[in-house]
Amino acid sequence: MLPKGLEKQINILDFSLMSLWRRKLKNLGIMFVFALVIFLLGSFQMLTGALTNSAQAVLKNTPDITIQKMSAGRQEAIPLAHAEKLHSIYGIRAIIPRVWGYYFDESKLANYTIMALEHDSMPYGNNLNLTLAYGHFPKKTEIGKAVIGRSVHDILGLDKRRIFSLFRPDLTLKSFEVIGVFSQQTDLLSNDLIIMNLTDARDLFHIPELMATDICVYVTNPTEIETIAKKIAGLLPDTRVLTKSQIQKTYQVVFSWRSGLASICLLTALAAFAILAWDKASGMSPEEKREIGILKILGWETGDILAVRFWESVLVSVLAFLFGCTGAYIHVAFFDASLLKPIMVGWSVIYPSFKLLPSVTLADLLLIFTFSVLPYLGATVIPAWRSATVPPDSAIR
Amino acid sequence: MRPSHKLFILLLVLIIIDSMLYLHAKRLSRGLKKDQAVQAISVAALGLTDLCVATEARYTRHPAVSDPLAPFMDHPGAIEHFPTGSFWSVPTNMYLQ
Repeated sequence: MLPKGLEKQINILDFSLMSLWRRKLKNLGIMFVFALVIFLLGSFQMLTGALTNSAQAVLKNTPDITIQKMSAGRQEAIPLAHAEKLHSIYGIRAIIPRVWGYYFDESKLANYTIMALEHDSMPYGNNLNLTLAYGHFPKKTEIGKAVIGRSVHDILGLDKRRIFSLFRPDLTLKSFEVIGVFSQQTDLLSNDLIIMNLTDARDLFHIPELMATDICVYVTNPTEIETIAKKIAGLLPDTRVLTKSQIQKTYQVVFSWRSGLASICLLTALAAFAILAWDKASGMSPEEKREIGILKILGWETGDILAVRFWESVLVSVLAFLFGCTGAYIHVAFFDASLLKPIMVGWSVIYPSFKLLPSVTLADLLLIFTFSVLPYLGATVIPAWRSATVPPDSAIR
Repeated sequence: MRPSHKLFILLLVLIIIDSMLYLHAKRLSRGLKKDQAVQAISVAALGLTDLCVATEARYTRHPAVSDPLAPFMDHPGAIEHFPTGSFWSVPTNMYLQ
């Protein structure tokens, strides 16, 4: 036996459901649009959260300090003599110059990232071959060999072939033999990479022997990274010094809620929906007015009619919230966020498959709930009050 | 059947679906942890700084190490034209200099 108050609410719920069903085209339409807006907001949040989480999880081992030479506000090649100057700073464990840059493949319209460094001197350098599906990384003496990302392999159409060529700046061709391909597990990092020998990279980009693109610095005591970075910045005033924590912070802000035009568009869609909800809820049809009048004549109180309106709003908004959030998870987890992916990758020809774990946190759900359900309830409360206070005689006349 | 009973059945179905999705997330998380261990090796041994998500512009391929003003640096008065530039925010100026 249910308590009397609960029984009453269930009866009102039944009435509200029947009332919603009587105007199913209008109400299902509103619920569909509402669920769609929540779905887009939720997908955006789950995708960006997943990328931020992935970045935090895997970018823990970035170089302690990265030094880039700046000229006229742009990065340019750094002389290796700068690395020599760093030996005077106590606490530096290793200084490793890197040559890297971008190669635009005009026939495929794809951008590759070319990278070269002495990986044997890097942390985990001996385990690097574990990141490959097959093959090995080029040794110091292996000239003209390269390891490539999976998408590079696909876009070059190599199939069983192992030789591919890239143009030097003077348009002469340089050939490479593929001696390894990155495994699928590292797609999120290595999809567009071509790793080669330092000599080959210098030859390809026409970078002089005594220059590098940037310098990675490793520090003995991790608590001294900031102090040593400041010393380097003082010693090499024409450089930009990036620390590990700065690189990691980048990914906390680059996909944040307030970032980007996409989130503004989504919030605008939400605002437009709130206006639509207000308009739909406030414009009472003569039928609805007559219904309220009859209910009042039958003895319903204003509070009961308000309860009906409240249940209607709660049912529409909470069901839309549940459908929207469930759909958003399925969209990101099973369909690789295919609706947001084109915005995310833009004109990129190379991009990884988004095998990501959608980020679902209580804070995010509450945020979406606050941005969607509460404005809807707010937008319908005043029209509900107006409808509940209609005098019965004027309503049925 | 009362309409409220139909609603409770619908809510039950949604709860079952969401529970299955929760279990899916747990399993996916275990799989991704294995991948992340391999990814961590490549990050450490190659000194990688960024995720390879968008490869169209250097400031979205390598936002951590590229010039923060790059979208407007191609020529004086140049406006941003890469689609990803509108989705990715420019990193805040966190450099030492």
